[in-house]
Amino acid sequence: MKRIVPVLGLCGLLAFAPLPAQGADWKMDPAGSKLEFIATFEKAAAPGEFKEFDARLRFDPDKPAGSRLEVTVKVTSADMNVADVNKEIRGKDWFDYAAFPQAEFRSTELRRIEGNRYVARGTLVLKGVKQPIEVPFSWTASADGAVMEGELLLSRGAFGIGTGEWTASDVIGADVKVKFKVKLRKAR
Amino acid sequence: MLRNTPDSWGAPAKLFHWVMAALILAQIALGVMAANWRVSPTKLELFFWHKSTGILILALVALRLAWRLANPVPLLPSGMAAWERAAARLGHLFLYALMIALPVTGWIVNSASNVPFRIFWLVPLPAIVAPDEPTADFVAEVHGGLAALLALVLAAHIGAALWHHFVKRDTVLERMLPRRAP
Repeated sequence: MKRIVPVLGLCGLLAFAPLPAQGADWKMDPAGSKLEFIATFEKAAAPGEFKEFDARLRFDPDKPAGSRLEVTVKVTSADMNVADVNKEIRGKDWFDYAAFPQAEFRSTELRRIEGNRYVARGTLVLKGVKQPIEVPFSWTASADGAVMEGELLLSRGAFGIGTGEWTASDVIGADVKVKFKVKLRKAR
Repeated sequence: MLRNTPDSWGAPAKLFHWVMAALILAQIALGVMAANWRVSPTKLELFFWHKSTGILILALVALRLAWRLANPVPLLPSGMAAWERAAARLGHLFLYALMIALPVTGWIVNSASNVPFRIFWLVPLPAIVAPDEPTADFVAEVHGGLAALLALVLAAHIGAALWHHFVKRDTVLERMLPRRAP
């Protein structure tokens, strides 16, 4: 008996010990996910898409504080729907596929704005340039997982996308809208 | 005088003629430069102006054709040989056909190549064919061929006008000129 009491006591302590506020791990379902970028050409929308990317998330919608979002983008999977443009964007002036085939976002802080809207602040590394960015998103839970969706504006100049004579923004606009829809499943 | 008469063109017909003449010459220059410029913002800018002007020309030719069909066409001078009359008719038919076919083939190239485009930055140009690279390449060749044909027909048109004026000394050229104040 004397031995059992401390053991029970220990169990009690464990039961009430605060769990680390980490939330669940989520894995992306590529089939239901899309990462688009919309540039402008003479004020007309020039849409593109990164066909290959991956998002990993540790997230509790009710306690977003300890959450983490990591996204890797295969830059070389970019498709802007026009054969000549796709040829052009591989080059050094644009994405420079040879030197920078991958882009990465890592969150440093994730918080709720209101309701189901959140924002992940972190660092984007694109074409070798590190920049702090904010990624706002909405979170919609479903029976088989969740969907995070959002959009943000990036300045292509900040990442050296379009250098030399392409730096001027009168033909190719300075801002690029990034839109994403990520379908997630709870990782086991 | 607005309407055409059997011996002269009215003001709208003259305006259509000279505005479109200026646009078409600029358009040929823009097209040749755009096609041959190295890839650069300037090339994109040239294409932007070429495409915008092309759609403007297509709209104008529709109005012009409607105006022409609603008006009498001034008669050719008497004393022209049958083959000269036939050549004149054929030449003008070619000019109208090319003024329509060039913008339309350009529009097809733009649609097939899937390049986003707003006419003069304002109105998005809807696609008239599905995106397809071989179609874009082929119709671009046709467009270039038609442009070369247009240059030939224009040379004949200008040559004929000068021939009427300086050799035949008739009123064919004069009646298309803006009327001088009396």
